[in-house]
Amino acid sequence: MGKVIHKSSKPLQVNPFKLSQPMGATLAFLGIDKCMPLMHGGQGCTSFTKVFLTRHFCEPIAIQTTAVTDAIAVLDGGDYSIVESVKNITKKVTPSLIGLHTTGLPETKGDDIAGIARQIEFPMVHVNTPDYEGGLESGWARTCKAIIEEIVQPAERVDDNKLVLLPHVSLQPIEVEKAKEFIESFGYNVYAVPDLSTSLDGHLGNKQAALSSGGISVDELRTLGDAGLVLTVGDSMQSCASSLQQKNSEMRHYHFAHLHGLEATDALVKVLLDETGFFGPPPTVSRWRRRLQDAMLDSHFSLGQTRFLVAAEPDQLSGLCQTLHDSGGRVTVAISTVDSTQLETLQAEQVMVGDLEDAELMADEYDVMIGNCHCEALAHRLGKGMVLRGFPNWEQVGNALKNDILYEGGCYLLFEAANTASAARNEVQHV
Amino acid sequence: MATKPKIKQLLDESACSHNKTKKVACNAPKPGATTGGCAFEGAQIALFPYADAAHLVHGPMTCLGTSWETRTTGTSWQGRDLTQTGFTTDVSLNDVVFSGEEKLAKAIDYIIEYYSPEALFVYVTCVTALIGDDIDLICKRAAEKYDVPMIPVHAPGFVGSKNLGSRLGGEAVLAHLIGTKEPEESTPFDINLIGEYNVTGDMWQYTPLLKELGIRVLSTLSGDGRVAQIRTAHRAKLNVIVCAKSLISLTRKMEERYGIPSISLSFYGKRDTSKGILAIAEALDDAALVNRARTLVAREEQKLEEKLAPYVAFFKGKKAVLNTGGNKTWSIAAALQDLGIEVVATAVKKATEDDREKARQTLGEKGVLMMDPGAEQARLIDETGADLLLAGGRSLYTAIKKGIAFADVNQEKKKSYGGYDGLLNLAEDLKNAMQNPVFRNVARRAPWEK
Repeated sequence: MGKVIHKSSKPLQVNPFKLSQPMGATLAFLGIDKCMPLMHGGQGCTSFTKVFLTRHFCEPIAIQTTAVTDAIAVLDGGDYSIVESVKNITKKVTPSLIGLHTTGLPETKGDDIAGIARQIEFPMVHVNTPDYEGGLESGWARTCKAIIEEIVQPAERVDDNKLVLLPHVSLQPIEVEKAKEFIESFGYNVYAVPDLSTSLDGHLGNKQAALSSGGISVDELRTLGDAGLVLTVGDSMQSCASSLQQKNSEMRHYHFAHLHGLEATDALVKVLLDETGFFGPPPTVSRWRRRLQDAMLDSHFSLGQTRFLVAAEPDQLSGLCQTLHDSGGRVTVAISTVDSTQLETLQAEQVMVGDLEDAELMADEYDVMIGNCHCEALAHRLGKGMVLRGFPNWEQVGNALKNDILYEGGCYLLFEAANTASAARNEVQHV
Repeated sequence: MATKPKIKQLLDESACSHNKTKKVACNAPKPGATTGGCAFEGAQIALFPYADAAHLVHGPMTCLGTSWETRTTGTSWQGRDLTQTGFTTDVSLNDVVFSGEEKLAKAIDYIIEYYSPEALFVYVTCVTALIGDDIDLICKRAAEKYDVPMIPVHAPGFVGSKNLGSRLGGEAVLAHLIGTKEPEESTPFDINLIGEYNVTGDMWQYTPLLKELGIRVLSTLSGDGRVAQIRTAHRAKLNVIVCAKSLISLTRKMEERYGIPSISLSFYGKRDTSKGILAIAEALDDAALVNRARTLVAREEQKLEEKLAPYVAFFKGKKAVLNTGGNKTWSIAAALQDLGIEVVATAVKKATEDDREKARQTLGEKGVLMMDPGAEQARLIDETGADLLLAGGRSLYTAIKKGIAFADVNQEKKKSYGGYDGLLNLAEDLKNAMQNPVFRNVARRAPWEK
């Protein structure tokens, strides 16, 4: 582990890959069934977010805006725009929940959304997510926390077979599903909050969906208080677990910085074995572990001669760096969107909070880039290999089904990284 | 402030057709029932194609983080291309509390030092407008310090729609760039292309034809544009507004100030492209030019018809339902008709009165103008026996249920459908869609379904 720069010294971002808090909040609300995310701000924030997510998932995205205008911004404390929005939304559809989240505009003028939400007689979760603070990860985590605090009913008894999984924002829908199934194979009933695995997994719906179509239901959320276990994945999610434990102090919590690669998956299996008292995992789990061991060996030759730049949200960054590092990939530069506790423990030679201008200036130090589709033009210009990961990926289809985690996903990630690195080397040799 | 355009005046634009019938104008977004982008987005779309200018967004991360690199057409000019470079001050809580002015000034210094652009556009956003950062002053000082035009763009998202933002972007260009430089030479056939943003290279479909006629594109707002060119725009003989009503205030002011007349046209589809080229020639008022234009149009139409013949044979008897908004309600319809496809219905829910009139003219008496396309389109497909639905992604299921082909009109286009050759791209894409068995195949019943 090398030098860590927690704050950029520049007065601006050039070619940013950082994303905003309200966008993370929207995404989290889309993991609740029949939800209508309602973004409180100017109409543009909502429109941008909608287009952004539509292009990433190739799916219609349910979202509405309070459409604050300059005149309203001066005269209204949010009462008018929010109440009016709920009225107009419920004229057309009947959501199970309205997910109210803010942007910088109403936060700057200090709208009291908690007070307003209390006056509205419609199921609603509210969360403060100004875009001048935090980023995508914290927006998602804050929203998850608000959902837990505002919906989950307190409980006293625990059901030891019931488990709550709190995944970080960068896990794609299939990864959430794989994590659920993996844990279910140990006999648990697993509830993910939020759960994108059944909403934005790219399934053909049977009607024009005006609301989120899939995700955890509000009824299920209400009764999560009696879960025996809560698992957090990603440091951004850690405090959500304490909110859940406040509903029931008997609930036990285990934290994982990520679920990428052999060691992290082993740690999860160990917890599940200890908790269940089983002597060994289901056969498919041990089978996939042996496949991952083999994948690590098969890919080590290519990875061992490759220098990587990884640019991602902190929780995903930590998992990607670990997976590459374990098979000999040298992460020479790791760039994070925002500061995080993850940065101190990343398996990378240099760690920094930064942008893609920083990535360009360090072009001599890596052969392959891993990051979102804003990296692609850069990789092309610099002649680097490119593995597309993170939000957004507007260049490829199938993002919802890309799996990097646990024993199984680790194989896919390693193969893709190793093959990309080899192809990049061949390209250089043939030039 | 003198440089800030008066928004109310822009909204009351006399050239807007709805102002003849309605007292209240353009934009009153309804909370909880609004779609579409904001003024900031509109301004950015209007100005971003200036490849040698830098665009600095003074705001929090949502504004630029979602929007840079969304339009990937580069520039044909040699040298600097900043169209795919995003700059933002990414204001933090600290800036909101103590002002973001110092950060903005430093960010400008940084861009000048490392990117030396020909001009710098600085965009105010909702948050920085609300905290009252004085970007006019900061821009003025920086412009004096570096002798580089600094253009404050006052189009924070909350002032209104995308359309209004494009107007505000145009106003900023008028206030700070147009008329600040003289062209090296002038020709009698100098024109400005206004509102042509060259999305997917649309303008490159017809600019070679204009050049062949001896018509010179003096400047653009702003497709494939250069700062040095737009500064000379006041010397043009004609303003050509391309498929955009958002900039009529700008052209009206240019007419008042510099005596430049303007015409409004579209280069979408065969007939409109021909009409457009002829209209430019006629407006430049030169008999020889008009004759040359007629010959060229005839030649191009014939060339196109030869290339289109196999497609027209394929599309014969095919019917389409179109569900989109704005000028697409009629411009795509006209293009489809050029291909020999009968457009049986088009959605006008999200169209202005002008667009509705044009849609009526385009479709004729028999065509259906759908006011509630979500509810109507399925029934219309049944009634008319349509073969193709062109709509946004939400309507995909309707097409599958009806077992007809689907084309996503809202998807980010990767290639141009503009001009004569663009029609060939459109024909190829639609033929592929209609020949694709996928829409029937995915509709297969699962073995467990009754």
